[in-house]
Amino acid sequence: MAESCEALGTVPEHERILQEIESTDTACVGPTLRSVYDDQPNAHKKFMEKLDACIRNHDKEIEKMCNFHHQGFVDAITELLKVRADAEKLKVTDTNRRFQDAGKEVIIQTEDIIRCRIQQRNITTVVEKLQLCLPVLEMYSKLKEQMSMKRYYSALKTMEQLENVYFPRVSQYRFCQLMMETLPKLREDMMNYCMSDLTYGLESIRKHSDKIGEAAMKQAQQQKSFSVALQKQNNMRFGKNMHVNNDRILEEKSDVIPKHALEEEAENDEEVLTVQDLVDFSPVYRCLHIYSALGDEETFENYYRKQRKKQARLVLQPQSSVHETVDGYRRYFTQIVGFFVVEDHILHVTQGLVTRVYTEELWNMALSKIIAVLRAHSSYCTDPDLVLELKNLIVIFADTLQGYGFPVNRLFDLLFEIRDQYNETLLKKWAGIFRDIFEEDNYSPIPIGSEEEYKVVISRFPFQDPDLEKQSFPKKFPMSQSVPLIYIQVKEFIYASLKFSESLHRSSTEIDDMLRKSTNLLLTRILSSCLLNLIRKPHIGLTELVQIIINTTHLEQACKYLEDFITNITNISQETVHTTRLYGLSTFKDARHAAEGEIYTKLNQKIDEFVQLADYDWTMAESDGRASGYLMDLINFLRSIFQVFTHLPGKVAQTACMSACQHLSTSLMQMLLDSELKQISMGAVQQFNLDVIQCELFASSEPVPGFQGDTLQLAFIDLRQLLDLFMVWDWSTYLADYGQPASKYLRVNPHAALTLLEKMKDTSKKNNIFAQFRKNDRDRQKLIETVVRQLRGLVTGMSQHT
Amino acid sequence: MAKTYDYLFKLLLIGDSGVGKTCLLFRFSEDAFNTTFISTIGIDFKIRTIELDGKKIKLQIWDTAGQERFRTITTAYYRGAMGIMLVYDITNEKSFDNIKNWIRNIEEHASSDVERMILGNKCDMNDKRQVSKERGEKLAIDYGIKFLETSAKSSTNVEEAFFTLARDIMTKLNRKMNDSNSSGAGGPVKITESRSKKTSFFRCSLL
Repeated sequence: MAESCEALGTVPEHERILQEIESTDTACVGPTLRSVYDDQPNAHKKFMEKLDACIRNHDKEIEKMCNFHHQGFVDAITELLKVRADAEKLKVTDTNRRFQDAGKEVIIQTEDIIRCRIQQRNITTVVEKLQLCLPVLEMYSKLKEQMSMKRYYSALKTMEQLENVYFPRVSQYRFCQLMMETLPKLREDMMNYCMSDLTYGLESIRKHSDKIGEAAMKQAQQQKSFSVALQKQNNMRFGKNMHVNNDRILEEKSDVIPKHALEEEAENDEEVLTVQDLVDFSPVYRCLHIYSALGDEETFENYYRKQRKKQARLVLQPQSSVHETVDGYRRYFTQIVGFFVVEDHILHVTQGLVTRVYTEELWNMALSKIIAVLRAHSSYCTDPDLVLELKNLIVIFADTLQGYGFPVNRLFDLLFEIRDQYNETLLKKWAGIFRDIFEEDNYSPIPIGSEEEYKVVISRFPFQDPDLEKQSFPKKFPMSQSVPLIYIQVKEFIYASLKFSESLHRSSTEIDDMLRKSTNLLLTRILSSCLLNLIRKPHIGLTELVQIIINTTHLEQACKYLEDFITNITNISQETVHTTRLYGLSTFKDARHAAEGEIYTKLNQKIDEFVQLADYDWTMAESDGRASGYLMDLINFLRSIFQVFTHLPGKVAQTACMSACQHLSTSLMQMLLDSELKQISMGAVQQFNLDVIQCELFASSEPVPGFQGDTLQLAFIDLRQLLDLFMVWDWSTYLADYGQPASKYLRVNPHAALTLLEKMKDTSKKNNIFAQFRKNDRDRQKLIETVVRQLRGLVTGMSQHT
Repeated sequence: MAKTYDYLFKLLLIGDSGVGKTCLLFRFSEDAFNTTFISTIGIDFKIRTIELDGKKIKLQIWDTAGQERFRTITTAYYRGAMGIMLVYDITNEKSFDNIKNWIRNIEEHASSDVERMILGNKCDMNDKRQVSKERGEKLAIDYGIKFLETSAKSSTNVEEAFFTLARDIMTKLNRKMNDSNSSGAGGPVKITESRSKKTSFFRCSLL
């Protein structure tokens, strides 16, 4: 019955649709009709107009068909008339005629009825089909709209209704099948978009993490300050505070803020920002709901955790310059705190997305990374203040996360490593301070002009001397300016070292022990090193060295006050068996010994400079009767030195004087026996003797008080006996008494005697040219040769004996 | 021991405490400068060997304490000095005024023929100057003495000061030697005078 409509020349698309409807079974008309709604907004109306036109066209076709069959109809009537003729014969003509008249009207009416019923049936069928299809199209349209407006959860419900309720009704239509085929893709799009939305959401969370962390750390810090202040009042109040603290923690984790919490906030006059105030979690929640509805929770969980682990690694990776400022560390910590506060929040507000096991695993990974980072970066810190601030940050960081249930013991272990690092930076800083103090000292006793000035010094350094106290002004402290400065700085070091132990929950005994160890390091390593470097400075003078000896004596005496100082800080009894003693005493003793040694060295160097000025005429016929100029200068110099350094400790002065005399004696002896010197006349020996006499006079004049008898003169005894031997020409006595304890020339070394005699023998040979002394010279020469032989024997004997 | 020098010149640095005597000596002998003021106690010296006219001159330079309490000790060294530097601080007018007192000390305790020189030290601190160069120059002219402004810190005129004084001492010494030779040329006791001249030549000591 269906025939193609003739083209009416309007919308070609609609022509195609109408043709498709006529050529397709009714079960597949859905997809075709769907395309009507995909087109322009008023497409539906146009389609209906087009449909009416098509219907009218069909009516005309029906009329044509009726006209076509009219002749057949007429033929049938004709045959029927023949039957009537036969019927009249049966005598029913009249009845037949009545029937015929009545039937004419009925036949006409019946034809109309048939046309109308067919038309009506078609219309009814179309309406019924459309009534089934339209709701589906509406729902699909709604789904599209919800998708475009990003209302995915509603879209998900709509999709579910379509699948479960509407699609079964029209499943025979092709458009319906097409729609069903698109649903999986829509789901996929939905999931992808949710994931993308989640990614942006997570990024937003990450960006706000530092604010979250900052708020959390600030809150923890305030809690700590409040707790400390409260604890000082009474413990019961403190217990109550714990309760309040718990409430706040719970409050932060809940969606609804309880009324009493609001009141508390008002009382505090501070705004407590919760996690939700700072971050929009809706992308996470939406995504979770959608994936749950789609039955793909596991995928979402995996994705979420994977992304958060990536973010964790980003957060845990510090900037390369983090160690340069405390702000760098602060940002690092706030990001980490923010990250874990977010995880903790999600742990509490969702079901299974984040588990306790998962967060702990994540935290352990993070903690290892954090500790490694802190270990590496803190090693670059050279500023103790920065290390101290870092330690404070770590404590707040640890306390904050501990409040959220994360274990932080390893962080406190790390703090002990950082404490060692801190002490190292302190030691370096104080090394610089000590160097500066020594650099700026003038190495003179501190002058005091008034009682006020006196009290200022006494308040800085524990000096006690009743004699000085009674003196009238102006007067002087024995030590120089560096002594009180160093004492003050050692105390400052103790304070600085103590600062690190605050908030670390250590016992007083531990702190006391740590302080003493740190102070010992400062004294035995840093101060000792600075003192030794100072003492060994190339250009340091006797003035400085003498003052250093005095200074170290007073610093040594002050060590017991430093121990009292530490005891007062930590309240640990001195009787405690574990108390570490300060080793500063040995530091100052060692420094003093080094300074003393340096004084001896400097004095000997001065003596050497004088000796180099010696200008003996070794072949002079006779002495000019006066000691050599260089030696008189030398003696006068030594006398001046010991005269002005009256404040040098007695033993040091004595040792210095003895050292100088011994050095001078040795130098003179070496000059006499020098292998470069070939000839010495008796006149030169006599001149040399005058010089030695001056040395002996100096030694006997007691340039430094405290020497016993001739102790100092013993330094020149070797020279004295050697010169006496030659000037007296007492060889028989020397050789006869050699080796005996009572010998006059006990200290004359045969080797020295031989060396000197050979120099004089050469001189004697020259004198042979004088004929008038011929006989005496011969006798003298023979004597010399005899003595030389004897001395060589002694020397040889000594060699063999050795 | 063989002598390593031809002449020994003994120089003396005097002046008020804090004018920079030790710093001048330190710059000349060690070519270094120490900003911290450490007061000299008593007497000290440094030795540096220079070369003049092909001769090795050993300069023994005595550094004296400027403080009054060490005056007795330091004065004892005036007699042996062949050259004396009087040092004042251009930023300290009092130290300049005291130069007259130091000159009086020299006339009283030093040899009459000692070479003298006035130094105005710390000339690098021009912003704190209290004594103009002209006043220093005039004072030196009044006494017939050479004058230089120096700075131990910036190493200005330090070498020049010591070399100038040494050269003047050498000139005077040469003059005395020439006079001695001339007077001994025709003397009958030649050996005695020759020995005396030799002693004077090698000893270089006026003690």
